[in-house]
Amino acid sequence: MGQQFFSFGAAFLGSAVESTEALTIVLAVGLTRGWRAPLLGTVAALAALAVLVIFFGQLIVTRIPDSALKLLVGTLLLLFGLRWLHKAVLRSAGVVGLHDEERAYQSTVDQLENATDWVGFILALKGVFLEGLEVVFIVIAVGGTGKGLPVAVAGGLLAMVVVAITGVVVRKPLARVPENTLKYAVGVILTSLGTFWAAEGMGASWPLDFVSIGGLAIIYFGASRLAVTLIRRPTLA
Amino acid sequence: MKFLRAAVREVVGLFVGDWLQSVVIVVILAAGWLAVSRVGAPAVVLLVLLIAGQMIWFARAEARRARKPA
Repeated sequence: MGQQFFSFGAAFLGSAVESTEALTIVLAVGLTRGWRAPLLGTVAALAALAVLVIFFGQLIVTRIPDSALKLLVGTLLLLFGLRWLHKAVLRSAGVVGLHDEERAYQSTVDQLENATDWVGFILALKGVFLEGLEVVFIVIAVGGTGKGLPVAVAGGLLAMVVVAITGVVVRKPLARVPENTLKYAVGVILTSLGTFWAAEGMGASWPLDFVSIGGLAIIYFGASRLAVTLIRRPTLA
Repeated sequence: MKFLRAAVREVVGLFVGDWLQSVVIVVILAAGWLAVSRVGAPAVVLLVLLIAGQMIWFARAEARRARKPA
């Protein structure tokens, strides 16, 4: 039950962040050039992503032995999660600028100046596919390894639907979604899940089983705050 | 071909930002794999501390690089 909760939560939060970024691109194209091309691009990208989830999801669940799967997915999840966490630390410390949906929206609008219709299609297709690729990885990794693929798919889809409906209602970039905080949280969760599964794949067993992920999350969160503090500290000349 | 290369770069980019850091993480995991079979639970504790430690190290290193005047 706890495992399924983590899978659902990681997929939901990861998908919420990436869907918000994809929505900005689709809105930028739709509101400036009309909706036909970006909607077609979005549908094409979602279809391609669905094929990836079904193909790799089945392959992982049915073909790869459990311990090898945990080690492989744990390692990939750790690399992926640490990348998010690394960026989150640099953003929190003020080294890298925060992700800004208003700026991303304006940048997409600028690309559309004097562009033909198919550019709108390609921009939406590329934006939704690339942002969705990260969601696909999170869903397959957390769902496939924890034997909770349907739960992870549900988490990913639910976030996508919630973000899409919100976008249709407000008709502007969701700049108030706390994306940077969500990315920080997802980075901590994925790094913890990756460590948990990689170690299980190595043959280690965790005290209190899945509850250990909470302990790992506390350690990684603490380490990330320490990194932020050290980076912010003025260096002695 | 150009599209394929770009797609591969995107997929690799999901997992690798800094190649050195990624190699360090993989080396830590490989060492952890060897150690877990011999030492057991203490190896896992060391594994977690090393992963957390490298995260702090590489974040500080990038911050220093970013602040260094060109």
